[in-house]
Amino acid sequence: MSQDKRFSDEFLNAFVDNQLAAEEKSQAFVEIGQDEALNRQVCELRKLHDLVQLAYSEPPAAPARAVGLNSRQARLRFGVAASVLLTLGIVLGSQIRMPATTPSVTAVPAAEIQQVARIASPTKPIQPKAAALADVADRVASQQTATAIPAAETTAVPVPVIARDAIPDNTTTKVLIHLARDDADQLSQALDDIESTLKHYRETRQSAHVEVVVNGKGLELVRIDTSAFAGRIQRLQREYDNLTFAACQNTIDRLAREQGIVVRLLPGVITIDSGMAEIMRRQNQGWTYLQV
Amino acid sequence: MRKLLTLTVLAMLTVLSTGCATLFGQDKQKVVYHINYNDEKQLNGALGNVKNHINAIGKDKIDVKVVMHGNGVDLLKVANTNLDMQQKVIGLKKDGVAFQVCNNTLKAKKISYKNDLFDVSEKDIVPSGVAEVANLQQKGYVYIKP
Repeated sequence: MSQDKRFSDEFLNAFVDNQLAAEEKSQAFVEIGQDEALNRQVCELRKLHDLVQLAYSEPPAAPARAVGLNSRQARLRFGVAASVLLTLGIVLGSQIRMPATTPSVTAVPAAEIQQVARIASPTKPIQPKAAALADVADRVASQQTATAIPAAETTAVPVPVIARDAIPDNTTTKVLIHLARDDADQLSQALDDIESTLKHYRETRQSAHVEVVVNGKGLELVRIDTSAFAGRIQRLQREYDNLTFAACQNTIDRLAREQGIVVRLLPGVITIDSGMAEIMRRQNQGWTYLQV
Repeated sequence: MRKLLTLTVLAMLTVLSTGCATLFGQDKQKVVYHINYNDEKQLNGALGNVKNHINAIGKDKIDVKVVMHGNGVDLLKVANTNLDMQQKVIGLKKDGVAFQVCNNTLKAKKISYKNDLFDVSEKDIVPSGVAEVANLQQKGYVYIKP
């Protein structure tokens, strides 16, 4: 038994590699000499060992030669090359960076800025997350309404979302304006801002899309029975086809649940699952965000 | 074999340094503060936020633009008479903050930037405050509404 254990592969390898203690080694010599099979096994191992040694003998020898002869010259050459490439890299890097830091307002077309922005910001990998989030939000929203609305109608809900996504391309400036107040003064100012922004883009011939997201108290702006600016909103919608008013379905549901209010929206106002989800989604899609 | 190794290392160095210059280079943190209200308490708080932000990052490492439109333009109106507000604006300008005023608002409210607002020159006027905030975001500025 002890013999079996002693002549394990590990032991024999150690023997061949000359890594045994002198006493162990001499004893092993004696025993291997007495055992024919064991002898053959050790021979095989030694042959393998030599082959490995042979295979690896060349490369380690090379650096030794290099160090001996030309090491200084080689190191100098390597250093010069490295520093040249390092400088090149830094210059190249700052050049790449340039368009993002100093795009002039008029000279660089929006498409280019957006391209740089897309390269610089990891919107792509985030999008699936946003999509998943929207999915969850949609599911929650449809679950909330599932009891009241027939299946055919719930499946129709995502359609406008896809259609809206298709409108603005990469050359379009996309602005999301978030309204969460009902103070008449503030809303009036917000509508001024929205109108002057749309006018600005039209006058400067920039392709733009403005989406106004209303949730919470802001919803009152687009409700038939509460809006103090119904006429103005409808005029803006007629005047600018690149303007969308989007109302938060969560807020609508909450009003129904907590106050028994059946919300009726001004014509042309669309609903989105959740104002908050929409804001995150749009920012992940490269939209700019403003709260007014 | 050795040459190949050298070349690989050099190539990696180039890529690395390119990446480093791109990422960290002369880059400053870019921030746009959006102000469209005229409540003095809120305005004071907003300017305090900007100051704290600059102190936290270091004024050489940050590029701050304050865009004012609508009622927000009143900040620079108040700064004409309210010396505390004025000092805050002066201090922030010393730190490199740019205060930008919406021309749409000036026209709509019939404000003369020369007579009615504190220390505004032509270069501080932008055609549309909202469009400017959007434009800055497209250039990589982070949006903060204090």
